[in-house]
Amino acid sequence: MNSTVKVSGLTVRHRRRTALDSVDLDFGPGVHGLLGPNGAGKTSLIRVLSTAAAPDAGRIELLGTEVGAASDHRGRAAVRRRLGYLPQEFGHYAGFTVREFVAYVAWLKEMDGARTAAAVERAVERVGLADRIDSRMKTLSGGMVRRVGIAQAIVNEPELLLLDEPTAGLDPEQRVEFRALMRDLGEHATVILSTHLVEDVVTACEGVTLIEAGRVAYRGTTRELAALGKDGTQDELGGSPIERGYTTALRSHRATAGAR
Amino acid sequence: MTTWHAADDLVLRYAEGTAPETDAWSLEKHVESCTGCAERVSAAVRGRGTAAAVLDGVRAAVLAGAAAEPVRGADGRRVPGAGPRSWRRLPGAGRWRAGGAGARRAAPRAHPVGRVLWAAGPALRGPWAGALLLVVCAAVALAYGGGLGEAARPLLLVVAPVLPLAGVGVSYGRSADPMHEIIAASPAGGLRLLLVRTASVLATSVPVLALAWAVLPASAGGPGPLTWLLPGLALTLAALGLGSYVGCRAGAWTVASAWLAAVTVPGLGTSPSALAEAARTATRFFTGPSAQGAWAAGAVLCAGLLALRRRSFDHLETS
Repeated sequence: MNSTVKVSGLTVRHRRRTALDSVDLDFGPGVHGLLGPNGAGKTSLIRVLSTAAAPDAGRIELLGTEVGAASDHRGRAAVRRRLGYLPQEFGHYAGFTVREFVAYVAWLKEMDGARTAAAVERAVERVGLADRIDSRMKTLSGGMVRRVGIAQAIVNEPELLLLDEPTAGLDPEQRVEFRALMRDLGEHATVILSTHLVEDVVTACEGVTLIEAGRVAYRGTTRELAALGKDGTQDELGGSPIERGYTTALRSHRATAGAR
Repeated sequence: MTTWHAADDLVLRYAEGTAPETDAWSLEKHVESCTGCAERVSAAVRGRGTAAAVLDGVRAAVLAGAAAEPVRGADGRRVPGAGPRSWRRLPGAGRWRAGGAGARRAAPRAHPVGRVLWAAGPALRGPWAGALLLVVCAAVALAYGGGLGEAARPLLLVVAPVLPLAGVGVSYGRSADPMHEIIAASPAGGLRLLLVRTASVLATSVPVLALAWAVLPASAGGPGPLTWLLPGLALTLAALGLGSYVGCRAGAWTVASAWLAAVTVPGLGTSPSALAEAARTATRFFTGPSAQGAWAAGAVLCAGLLALRRRSFDHLETS
């Protein structure tokens, strides 16, 4: 597999707390889901992979370029042009329209000015907001703002797309459309999305990575995780096979982590 | 009637959605009156699964939106790049298509002036610009209406270096800029954007303050014009240097507080008017070549520190 994202010994600390503890991971083109309980380190991982935050230790190679160290700034700038990032929480400037907001991000990504206008319209169209492109951001609903967030992340047709809780605030129909868009993008780009919704992973992702307490608890395909749920005891867990697989994987990781 | 008929390769490209827009338009105009070509186009479209799907999408758009806008070759041409399952082509996507056609027609280019304002960032759009105007208007009003007279200029000296600092404080960083996390992951972010925004803050505040200075009544033996310029620059650079450790907003507020303390504390208790004493202290800080030389040296030192610390702006502020 040609890995577009390679991470080794990645450690992130927030003050005294260790958010990521020497994590080794790699991802190739396609859609990958990051699952895990709240506070497991999903956001820390996405932030570091997006180059927004610097790691405390470890190596990060994105699209074939080292970006982790402070001295990697040239390579980091080059990678940032080819990268899309939707933070869990993002703001905008008062009075910006959807078009201005997405165009501003295109400008931040140092896109060719002649291409920007068309790229902005295409990105906004892909998230289904073409009819609101000249609306002011503050007049949009929460779900629409989220979709604008997705539009700004894909405006430069990124080769690496990192989305933190992209489906939060979307209604069920929009979530279905979002997953279709993700599968579409995943045909060429490496898409990594963190979510707490298991069904996002089932329908949109090929691979699943389960994060628990700053460590990788499980890696596999969506089908393998579902199979884990079928094999496991049916007992009190209930839920869909993938939900049972999630719980089974998490419990077995906790058991081995506790034994160490 | 016309003797022109659509060539086979044009029909094929139209059915694929790859015909240039102008060619597509003439073809569409032509098939309205030419049954033979219309049948060939229909056959070609039926023969191509992807294009048929495109046309289905277009038809759905027309029906759903009941748009007067003719949906023509442009749609067929744009869609193939979108892949087979894009958001807008799912059932219910019709209203988005109709809106898209209208939006495309408007399609204003980003104006160059708009781009400069973008680069300037939040400070010039936010309350800071209002605060700047308020301060200089208040100074002028106090000088002429409030009986402050000649004391207004020295008082302006007290606040002049602080105003750009406040602008820097609300321009960049996690706590001041709502888009900061997106900016932190973009190639244009970092020290360069911070300096561009600082420059725009200075480019706004320096002329406004200079104008206010010129309008205020002259005071005999008072400081000369623009004596506050170098101190303002030095304090701004100090705020950025400190900001590389603690974040821009905290850096700006710390330096501004230190400055205000430096001019007010010596006068406390020594004079009945603390304000007048502060103005005298500030005047003392600014006048004379040695004072100005010290400010210049300070500015150079802070610029050096900033250059050393430039990589600290490449990521999200940690504090």
